[in-house]
This record gives sequence, C-alpha cells and structure tokens, in this order.
Amino acid sequence: MIIRALSLIFVFIVFAIYAAISKPELPEKPMSQRYQKLNSSGQPIAPWAGPWSCVLDQKTGLVWEVKNDAENIHDAYWTYSWQLNNMGVADRGDCYFEPNRCDTDDLIRRANQQQTCGIHQWRLPTKEELLTLVSHDLRPGEATIAKDFFPHTKRGDYWTSTANQPLEGAFKHLGHGAYAVNFITGEAIIIPYRNAAFVRLVAETKTEKTLSLIK
Amino acid sequence: MNSSLFWVALHLSLILVTFNNLLTGLRIATQSRPEIMVLNGLLPQGLMHRWHYAGALVLLTITVAFLIYQFGLKRTTKSSQPNVSLYHRVVTWFGYLTFICIMLTGAALYWQLLPNAWLNDIHFYAALCICLYILLHAAIYFVQYGMKVIKFILVTSPTNRKTHGVMVVATLTLGLLLNFALSTQKTIPLTVHKVDIKELINIDGQANESIWQSIEPVSVWTYGGANFVDGSTQVQIKTIENGVEAFFHIEWQDPTKSLKHLPLKKTADGWQIQQSGFYQFDETEFYEDKLAVMLSDSCDAGGSATAHLGPKPLSDKPANWHGKGYHYSYSTKQTDIWHWKAVRTNDMILADDNFFGKPQTARPGDRRYTAGYTPDGKESGAYVMNWKWYNKDIITPKRLPKSAQQLASFQQSDNASALNWIIPWFGYEPYQKAKDNYPIGTIMPSVMYRSNRFEGDRADVRAFAQWNNGKWSLELSRKLDTGSNNDVKLQSGVCLWIAAFDHAQIAHTRHSRALQLQWQDS
Repeated sequence: MIIRALSLIFVFIVFAIYAAISKPELPEKPMSQRYQKLNSSGQPIAPWAGPWSCVLDQKTGLVWEVKNDAENIHDAYWTYSWQLNNMGVADRGDCYFEPNRCDTDDLIRRANQQQTCGIHQWRLPTKEELLTLVSHDLRPGEATIAKDFFPHTKRGDYWTSTANQPLEGAFKHLGHGAYAVNFITGEAIIIPYRNAAFVRLVAETKTEKTLSLIK
Repeated sequence: MNSSLFWVALHLSLILVTFNNLLTGLRIATQSRPEIMVLNGLLPQGLMHRWHYAGALVLLTITVAFLIYQFGLKRTTKSSQPNVSLYHRVVTWFGYLTFICIMLTGAALYWQLLPNAWLNDIHFYAALCICLYILLHAAIYFVQYGMKVIKFILVTSPTNRKTHGVMVVATLTLGLLLNFALSTQKTIPLTVHKVDIKELINIDGQANESIWQSIEPVSVWTYGGANFVDGSTQVQIKTIENGVEAFFHIEWQDPTKSLKHLPLKKTADGWQIQQSGFYQFDETEFYEDKLAVMLSDSCDAGGSATAHLGPKPLSDKPANWHGKGYHYSYSTKQTDIWHWKAVRTNDMILADDNFFGKPQTARPGDRRYTAGYTPDGKESGAYVMNWKWYNKDIITPKRLPKSAQQLASFQQSDNASALNWIIPWFGYEPYQKAKDNYPIGTIMPSVMYRSNRFEGDRADVRAFAQWNNGKWSLELSRKLDTGSNNDVKLQSGVCLWIAAFDHAQIAHTRHSRALQLQWQDS
C-alpha cells in the first residue's frame, strides 16, 4: 500500500513539475525575412523595432524610402507630377515642404540634401524595380505591398523613372508619359507627366553596413 | 469481484467525460482567471466550448442513466461488488453533490436562469471540488486495492450481459434524444420588429423614438469580463427593421464611463504611455469602454466556433501574447463583427466593421498577430495613436498641442469622463523637441482622428452611444444587405452574440447561447 501511495505521489509531483516548467508560449521574434528596417541614419534595427526611415530589400539589394505621417518630406500624403532633369511637367503635385507645388525632382533633391538613412543618391525606381515590391498577401482594402514594412502606402499610383512612353486612349493627345505602379492592382500603367501621383524613392546599396546585410 | 456491463460502461464514460469537461472548462476559465494559466502546459487548446458543451450533454445522459440504474436495474440484477467503507460512502456522496452542483450551475449559466457572475464562480469552484473528489475517490481506491480496482472498473460480470447491453444501447439512444431536444434550445429568439421606413430613427444613443418604447427588450447576462461588477453585466437588446436597414438599441450596465484610452504622461525621461497590460495586448486599466456585436449565419457554440482558446491554437502560426487565444474560422459562413469604441469610433458615429475569417498569414514586421480578426477594407479615414512607435517605456509623440492651454482640462483627475479624449489632427502640430517643454506629470490624450471618419466597407455600421447613471445606451444601424463579402446579410436565422468591455482591450464579457434574429412577420 505504501508503494502505491508513493507511486501516486510521484505521478502528482511529475505533473506539478511539468505544469510549473511549461511556461506559456510567446511569439518568437522573426529570425530572418526579406526586408530589413533601417533607422534615419541607416542603421539596421530589429523587425519589431521602430520608427524606421528606410527598408533594405535583401532580395534585390535596393534601399527604399519609407513613408510616414510626420508632415516632413517623406509624408505619404504628398503627391508629385513627374519631372526629371527638365523633362516632364513641373509642380503639379501637392506637398507642404515646397513654396509652390511639387514634382518628383523636388523630393529627390530634398531627400539627397537631408541624406535620409545616410544616403545621398536617392532616385526614382524603374518600373521593374518598383514592381518587385508588389505583394499579394493582402487584407481587405490594403495597398498591394508588405504593409508591415511599408506603412502609410496609399492605394494609388507611384511614379517610376521609366518614361517617354506613348500615351493611349483619353490621354493620347498629351503625347508621352511615364510608367507608374498602381498599388491597388499591383500593375504598371502609363500615365501623363502632369498627373499628381505618389513617389517612393530608391537607392542602390552603397554603404558597407547595408551591403553586409544582403544575403 | 466483477462489475456489471452497464455499470462499467457508465463509469468509464463518466471518467472520460469528467476529464474532458475539467480540461476544456479550465481552459475556458483562463479567459477570466489568469491564475489558471499556471496549468497552461496541461490544458488543451482550440475549440473548447464545443467539447465542453458536448461533454455536458454526455454527463447529463450518464446522470439520467445512472439514476435508472441505481433505482431500477441494480435492484433487479446481481453483480458482485466490494463492501464499501464509510469513508468511501461519504466521499461518494461528496461526489454526488459536486456533480449535481456543477450540472445545475452549468445549466443555469447556459440557459441564463440567474445572474451569471456568482454562478460562474460556483461552477468553477465545483470543478475544483471534482478534482478533489477524484483524488479522494480514485486515488484512495488505487492505494487501497491496487490493480484490483483497475480490473473492477474494466472487467464485466458474465451475468445479465444481454440486459445490460440493452441498457447501454438505451442510454446511447437517450443521449441522442436529449441532444435532439436540446438542439432546439440552442438559441435565444430576438424578434426584429417592423418599423415604417418613413419613421426617422436617429442614431444618437437616446432611443427616444416611439417605436423603441413599444418594444420589450431581450436580456442576456454576460460574464467573465474584466472590471464591471464581478466581471458581469446585463445587456438588453431591442431590434427593428424597415425593409432597408436594421436598427439595434443595446443597453448595458457599466458603473464607470471610461474614456482615458492609453493616455500619455510626461515623466523625467520623456513621454510614457499609461498602461498596465498593453504590452501583452491585454490592457485592463487605461482603455476605453467598448461593445462588440458578432453576427453569423452559424449558431455554433463558442461564438460561431470562432473562439480558439490557448496561447498557440494554430501550430503553424505565432502564439498570442496574452495566452487567451484567437478568433478565426475556416467556415464558409461569414462572421461579422461590429466593434463600437467609446473614444476611437463614437465621435465618428460609427462602429468599426470587422470580421472573423480564415487565419491570416503572419507578417514578420507585425508584433501582434490577430489570426482571423480583420477589419473590413476602407477607402479613407482613420484614427491613429499619438506615438511614433510603441514602446513599453518611453515614446515620442507624433504631435504636440499648438498651445499648452489645450491640455489644461486633462490635468484634473476628477473630470476625465466629461472630456473629449480625441486629438484633432490640425489642432496639434508635428512633434519638435524644442517645443516639448511640458512639466513632469502632464497628461495628454493619445487618440487622433487623422482626417475624416472611415469611408467604405469598414464604415457600414452607424453607431453612437451615451452613458448615463451607470449605463451605456448604444444605437446601431446597418443596411440589411451591404453587398460586401465581409458582411453578414441581416435576415431571420442569423445568430448574434454580445461582448461588453469595461475599459478593457480584449477581456470582454460573454454568454453561451446565441441570440437569433427572427423577423416579426416571418
């Protein structure tokens, strides 16, 4: 009888120890992913840390501007007409940081002046580059992009540098325009230079610290 | 020393169903009793309510069959049984009383027969008594008799096997009949009264239109939430429809009007979010009051079988921070959620229109995974929190008031419920360190309306509530058919659940049986 009692007590102790040591599971920090957050000086930060100003795409080696709602030059609400090197249409978009209205050259100039993320070679992405950001893992009403790394992305057109494209249909009389990527459909479309569209700047990975992150 | 076939079948069934009910019940109890989380490693995860209610039905069947056996069959048949000592007779009676208690309180909770807060407590303590009973009964028998006890509860006597076999079949039939009888009691009817389309119903939380006065409300006791009085509140619901829209008037008791939603406080180190559990997404102190209405074409237990309990009910998805579980559903039947929030949506005159769908893909940049809990899409409009990035310790606000005077009223602790805790975006300006000269101890609201109210699918539900004398009065309205794939079409047969939140983020009250819409003229 004593042995049976002891064996029962032993079973209870085993259960008690198991219950005590089995801590509730907590979410695990993601070990690796495609995108790497960079803070305003270009230093990499953890996936759950913030705020961040740029994202390094470890698949393509490109560094992308991250939009915000701080009413600075990176505010997601600002729109721009397409103008690069005196080609296109100047000052047909809306932003707070220019005395007049805004175009793509304005944002590129200001981002390079401010050296966002330590980078001074910001530019418009090509059509092919911007299309690499299109994601189809969507929640209802979201832009077609990884929202966890690119918050504030609008469901609208984002300019690319792929220009001098013949316009068709209702815009044919305007001659040529540039490609924009539509982040509702995730497809590239040609729109007139005068259109007010959004912009996400890109840069090549140049610095050692970001180069070392590319796999 | 063998037992009769019928007794063995009943006893084994009772063992299985008792363990099922204890384990699923304790997991359900973790929703409102965090101390039970210490048993996390021993408790099952997932759709606990379905198993718990099925177990309750089996327990009821066993009880009826046992009474028949005890007072009928046992007296007419012979089976060899050991002499039962006084100790075991006392323990057995203790067991009878606890099982009776747990079944009565369980039934009363399920059918809403009495106020639920203390019933829920008695049900829980009765479950603990059953754990004690197992120890006093089974463990002591094992210590006394060893493997003979195992033989006694497993090996059947050869006598009267035919009679007992018939009884086993009869018990199974009884269980099926009880299941059929109770299936008609799975829901509480909620009549949707007809109102002329010409009658204007203002969504103002007052419900002073004549039609509301002519309708008797349906009451449900909801329990198991944080705060309130003993975590419980009675909810009263009236519903009308005019052929195009449905209107709901919902009242619930809440002794405090809570609008201080994660306010910011200036400290010597900078601004801090006032919080006690927000880091685990389970804030129960500095949070606004809320109410959620869940609608589904399915009336299954466990909130249309969307409540999957436990820290990690999905093996291939992240665990949750609070250990309580996720809402999601693989069903093709849509589950709609209207989430009214006293600060974040009330001034938009909206409820946040969400749904419980399939578990979403986990995103590496999102610290909080919400499984199937997803907002409907919106075209524009938003509320945002006044910090650049959440941090448990120190944050940087997105914006500061243009004038320090704008914060003056928030510094008095006795008038919090009389204030508007929403920051108008353009009444504040982007944060600048040079302008952050606020004294230590300054309180600042943190909910900002970024632009306009929600527009699009997420804005389908109009809602406004007022708090008076310990009670919220909420009016809601929505088109019967919004045309959205994420919304449930309002019609007879749709089931509905109510969850109230008293300054709590996720610790809401609940009720077992769904309310079921029944059109007045159908």
